[in-house]
Amino acid sequence: MIRIILRQFTVLALTLFVLTVLAFSLAFWFPGNAITNASGVLVTDIHYQAVATARAFDKNIISQYLAYMAHFFAFDWGVSLQDGASVWQEFKLRFPATLELSLLAMALALLLGPPLGILAAMHHNKPIDQIITFFSLSGYSIPVFWMAQLSILIFAVALGWVPIAGQVNPLFDIPLVSGSILVDIWLAEQPYRGIALLNALQHMILPVIVLATVPLVLLIRLTRNACVDVLRLNFVKGAYARGLSTPEVLFKHVIPNTMQEVTLHISTAFSLLITNTLIIEMIFSWPGLGRWLVRSIYERDYPVIQGVLLLLASLILLVNVATTIFHAWRFPRVRRELNAT
Amino acid sequence: MHKQFNKVLKTIVGGLLATSLIACSPALPPNSSGVLYCSEGNPESFNPQMVTSATTLDMTSLQLYDTLIEYNEQQQEFRPALATEWKVTSDGRVYTFSLRENVQFHQTPYFSPTRSFTADDVIFSFQRWLDPEHPYHFVSGGHYPFFRATKLDQLIQRISAPTPYTVRIELREPDSSFMSTLSSSFAVILSAEYGQQLLLAHEPHRIDQQPIGTGPFKFRDFRQDVSVNYLRHDTYWRGPAASESLVFRITPSDHKRMLMLLTGDCDISPYPPARDIAWLKQRDDVNVQQSLSPNTAFWAFNTERPPFNQPLVRQALAHAINREALIRSVYYDHAVIAESILPDTSWAHVALPEAYSYDPVKARNLLTAAGFPNGFSMDIWALPVQRSYNPSARMMAEKMQADLAFVGIRANIVSYEWRSFRRRLAQGEHDSVLIGWSADHSDPDNFFRPLLTCAAKRSVNNRALWCHEGFDQLVTAAIRTTEISERQRLYRAAQQLLAEEVPVLPLAHSIRYQVSRKNVQGILPPTFGGIRLHPVYIDRSEPGPVTSTVTENTGGVP
Repeated sequence: MIRIILRQFTVLALTLFVLTVLAFSLAFWFPGNAITNASGVLVTDIHYQAVATARAFDKNIISQYLAYMAHFFAFDWGVSLQDGASVWQEFKLRFPATLELSLLAMALALLLGPPLGILAAMHHNKPIDQIITFFSLSGYSIPVFWMAQLSILIFAVALGWVPIAGQVNPLFDIPLVSGSILVDIWLAEQPYRGIALLNALQHMILPVIVLATVPLVLLIRLTRNACVDVLRLNFVKGAYARGLSTPEVLFKHVIPNTMQEVTLHISTAFSLLITNTLIIEMIFSWPGLGRWLVRSIYERDYPVIQGVLLLLASLILLVNVATTIFHAWRFPRVRRELNAT
Repeated sequence: MHKQFNKVLKTIVGGLLATSLIACSPALPPNSSGVLYCSEGNPESFNPQMVTSATTLDMTSLQLYDTLIEYNEQQQEFRPALATEWKVTSDGRVYTFSLRENVQFHQTPYFSPTRSFTADDVIFSFQRWLDPEHPYHFVSGGHYPFFRATKLDQLIQRISAPTPYTVRIELREPDSSFMSTLSSSFAVILSAEYGQQLLLAHEPHRIDQQPIGTGPFKFRDFRQDVSVNYLRHDTYWRGPAASESLVFRITPSDHKRMLMLLTGDCDISPYPPARDIAWLKQRDDVNVQQSLSPNTAFWAFNTERPPFNQPLVRQALAHAINREALIRSVYYDHAVIAESILPDTSWAHVALPEAYSYDPVKARNLLTAAGFPNGFSMDIWALPVQRSYNPSARMMAEKMQADLAFVGIRANIVSYEWRSFRRRLAQGEHDSVLIGWSADHSDPDNFFRPLLTCAAKRSVNNRALWCHEGFDQLVTAAIRTTEISERQRLYRAAQQLLAEEVPVLPLAHSIRYQVSRKNVQGILPPTFGGIRLHPVYIDRSEPGPVTSTVTENTGGVP
């Protein structure tokens, strides 16, 4: 196990290194002045020389990279070219909002996906299976931005059940502390926290459900296929022959074997989810990284693009490695295979 | 084991049920009285002195600040604000304002005023943009576009305070547009005491980020791309605002703003999509307010280039265009035909429909008389961006192309990226251009001197490159006198001259729209000074549609 973890961390470190080199070189590849691209400080600024020295632009490329990393870990990510605000300060408030949305959506997908997939497999080619397959296939085929617009039209405009923009009704006046609205409401010292929480949940419900759809249908299809394969195996027949009841066969033999297949794909589902989060945030005016990144791309705000891309890529990478390690830890057979190679 | 599976299912079903329950009834803060206004962009600054955009003006000026005097569009007269009365010397060069006493500045966590409003604050606010030596002159960029464009910074010779509640402004020469400029929403009064305090703290830039004024609302916080939050200023001199809080939610997409209005995510939304206005008007859960903005879209001819140097040719072109069709197809009827460069809301407006009427036969005759029986070919430069006075210059140019072909003129549409468009335009490379003008203040002078004089030609705002001595004399004489009837006579002559010479063909005055939910009370149609949210509140007691709200501008504030 330790060998596996070590190997995974080595891979992680190497990939992260390549990623930081890439992010570092972006400053040179973007058009314009590399120092400005990296720090957001314009040539006309009085601090320009100081910034150039601090970022070792008078020395060789290796020192520049090291200076870049030092700045990165000191959370000095430069300032935005649009408004001169510190990239890290802005990131700190926006990232939790994005994380909140994606974690909730992921949780929803994990909660519903595998059970529905198993349910479908248990009733393979029967009506229940056909209904679930139909919905998962439709969910898979509808683009997420279209589904978002459609759900807004139905649930917000026509039925009037939910609001469509932001994290919470601004009249609640929840102080901005972490950026994640649930945490902020919890921290807020307000007499109406309960109602505020309800209001925040109403704001969250549509984006979370739409966002959960993509990983959800992916998980349903994967689980169903894996489970159908497992059910065909001889040991399942053997278990039934030994006189075990259906639930016992299911929980002891079928589900663990199915999940071994499915677990590995959770990281794929997560990276899909992050991509879609950016789109969903735009549509639902969620104050996370999505809107910020898209606007920065339009405005060619390189320090922001650089920082956000690096962080999002690292996040997906981390989840990937964590999934692999969990997979190996939870399923001994996988561990043996990994050790063998 | 089976039980376990059932439990999981139950939890999931239960969770789904709970979420659907949450969804069904909207949860709102109890006893809240706040107004949500969906704004179309981030404010550039919280100091209107430094901006030009109407978006920023709507969000800051009338909510946070006051001006010395205000302009009442209905009565077409100036009314007191921070100044209670004013006197002008007979030569029109010295203005003396008596100031209102006991006007309180905002009390906020970052500033506690120790004194009320005095002449010091007026001097401080004016000197900031007048005097390059002023400690705040270069703070936050040091650009004061409105005062530069109206030349107010050149006009004022001296400003002084003979007593704590009197301010004297001396002008270099008499100028009857001076009061209009002062009444504009850009000429706000800041707090001198706050300025001093920030100087001592070495943080002068905060004056434009955490504003202090005397207006009906005080600043609470601003989150880029999300919202601007204001609270009620309880000791406002006109009486506290009708709502406890005011939130501007920043929503650049017009379609999104409309949806947010329908779902109750905002109470008021400016600039709905033009194609949806008719549909919105039919709905019974929203009110649509409209006001004629003082703006004009026009077609300017480069009068330095042949054949446009001949008035006959320009007249022919004016008669060749079917402007009524343009109003229908380009503006979706959300505009009125311009019968003069000056909007019909102005007291000096003179309608001259015959001069610009659609008459292709007359146009052909005029062309023949000018020596072009077979027409000619020309360029129409179409503005590449959307403007309040013209939603789509490109589409307009295409329609005009067809009209011109009918009288034998081959028109070619030209467009560049906005910045190079303006640069080339300034160099006079165009034959003709579709462009326009939005007023900054109420005085008719704003449509003449900055646009069509020889001086405007030098400062490149004169897109027709037209310089006519008679016209210059008329409009200059008009600002040297304060006698309204005399000014009307002069402006009538000026507009008649324009109708004969046709350096520009006025096309349309567009209508500005604003939508509010039915339960929004006290809202007035927007004016060019911005929207006044002081009397607005939400009537939450009546859940159903409310039958009537104020849609006529009564001008007053409770």
